[in-house]
Amino acid sequence: MLQKIYDWIDERIDITPIWRDIADHEVPEHVNPAHHFSAFVYCFGGLTFFVVVIQILSGMFLTMYYVPDIENAWKSVYYLQTEVAHGQIVRGMHHWGASVVVVMLLLHTLRVFFQGSYKKPRELNWMVGVLLFFVMLGLGFTGYLLPWDNKAYFATQVGLEIAEQVPFIGDQLKTLLAGDSEIVGAQTLTRFFAIHVFFLPGALFALMAVHFILIRRQGISGPL
Amino acid sequence: MHKGKGMKFVGDSRVTAERTSQIPKDYSEYPGRTEAFWPNFLLKEWLAGSVFLVGFLCLTLAHPSPLEGIADPTNAAYIPLPDWYFLFLYELLKYEFASGPYVIMGILVLPGLAFGALLLAPFLDNGPGRRPHQRPIAVIMMLLGLISVSWLTYASAAHVDWETRAEENKPIPPSSVEIDTEHEGYAFYEENCMSCHGGELEGGGAAPGLIGIDYSAEEIADIARNGINTMPADQFTGSDEDLEKLVDFIITTNEQAE
Amino acid sequence: MSEEKQQVSRRQFLNYTLTGVGGFMAAGLLISPIRMAIDPVLKPSSAGEYANVGLAVEDITTEPQRVDWKIDQVDGWYESKVSKSAWVFKDDNDEIMALSPTCTHLGCVVSWEGNDDHPNQFYCPCHDGRYYKDGTNIEGTPPTRPLDLYDHKVENGMLYLGKANVRGEA
Repeated sequence: MLQKIYDWIDERIDITPIWRDIADHEVPEHVNPAHHFSAFVYCFGGLTFFVVVIQILSGMFLTMYYVPDIENAWKSVYYLQTEVAHGQIVRGMHHWGASVVVVMLLLHTLRVFFQGSYKKPRELNWMVGVLLFFVMLGLGFTGYLLPWDNKAYFATQVGLEIAEQVPFIGDQLKTLLAGDSEIVGAQTLTRFFAIHVFFLPGALFALMAVHFILIRRQGISGPL
Repeated sequence: MHKGKGMKFVGDSRVTAERTSQIPKDYSEYPGRTEAFWPNFLLKEWLAGSVFLVGFLCLTLAHPSPLEGIADPTNAAYIPLPDWYFLFLYELLKYEFASGPYVIMGILVLPGLAFGALLLAPFLDNGPGRRPHQRPIAVIMMLLGLISVSWLTYASAAHVDWETRAEENKPIPPSSVEIDTEHEGYAFYEENCMSCHGGELEGGGAAPGLIGIDYSAEEIADIARNGINTMPADQFTGSDEDLEKLVDFIITTNEQAE
Repeated sequence: MSEEKQQVSRRQFLNYTLTGVGGFMAAGLLISPIRMAIDPVLKPSSAGEYANVGLAVEDITTEPQRVDWKIDQVDGWYESKVSKSAWVFKDDNDEIMALSPTCTHLGCVVSWEGNDDHPNQFYCPCHDGRYYKDGTNIEGTPPTRPLDLYDHKVENGMLYLGKANVRGEA
């Protein structure tokens, strides 16, 4: 039955080459930890992706309870953490995932750097990767405010003061981020929520797609 | 066009073997035991992923994600601290050459140089050799960068007393207390305690809130006289009868809040 | 098709047109959202507005007195009342000074001659922080900088205070 459905679809849109491209490529020996244990360093990229998946899933579920409003944000986080079954775990996954993803990203970057894997012809993919790093730090910065606790509020205050000190455009930059020229408040929270949940993930997905397509297209770098 | 298996590619890429421009070396130069991505290699990856996931879930179970009290913009005593991966930038701004009149150095020039160099690394380090000893400058720069970032992060985090911080900033469940200004102890509260502990016992400044405190009447009386932690002694200097009324006010307000 | 050499080929023309129409669609889609996103930058700042603190100028003496007032803070759709207070007095040059009572050490509230042992000083009860009358912190006490100074102006004989400004280290 499944075979018939597959054949029906394949006959019309020819999907076989698409998945065979991914499934059938040969993985070389030097990246396979089964042959050389030191090849575990090649896992960091995959693990980064895995944590990103954890972040996306846990984040999607967190928004079922979370409200980006200064009167209710903290209460909703407190509620989901204390009253909702497994809420503690889901928020924990998102909170710790945010740290773990930075660690994995750093390890992956260092692997690529010290192996010189960014050399020709992979320059573009390295730049996409560094941009991914920036997007991830942006997600960390905007996500930190959302629980609206003291830690979040004052760290964001400091971050915005730093933005304000940029020459010429500092004031505008701060206002653009905070939504108000003086107050870190209701409009800041909604802005950071929008950036954290829609704008940056959009950029993240686009860059990840380019990153993966380039890896498939260029193959993994050879052994040293 | 030729599809699926049977097509010749370079290495494990999708660049066809027939085209020869700008392509990486074929792995046949490094003879070895290759294996199919699906399902052989992916199974190994997922096994590694499972081990990782178990470790990760243990972390989330062992350490519930922290939540501090609701943001209070009037709390001027709070010492802000960013998330750990921004600590190095935060610490950088404390140095004299990166703050005050030189703040541009700290917020734009140094981070700009570091991240710009990272972004453009393939063009700065464009020699053919890939091994670290063939490109000593790039490797040394990266090591220096890593050391300084680690040092800055350490310097920033080392003097923080994390436990006290967590203790002082415990989340207080939302409660709405009504202050009985008719209470005979209220006048003493207003006179002696309110400037720090707030009109609704909510705390503020350097002083904690007084709702949900875990002290007996005697202990509260003692604290009012002799202080505790950062609270200095002799905040209350009235008579013992007045002190009793004050303590009764704090306790009844607490009972009513529960 | 004529045999004449064409300046712009049909294909080029279509490409230009496509770019133009694409640009039109992108602009049409994005003008309003972008204007909406940058609105706070273009709005005049409400900060620095002065509030009547309910104190007549003729009542200001050289002895600091505490004034309390409330301002309406409007943060988008969220309005709140924020209490403010200041110590107001005339200095030796007959200039009005309005000092913020927030201790620059840990944010407790200072009071004028709050301790009988230290006359003519502002005193913070939390950690014995002290300030001279002009708000300068006294060396050797916990505060690291002077008390903040409010902007002020006088209208119709009443005192109006604006925002509190941080002053440099003593």
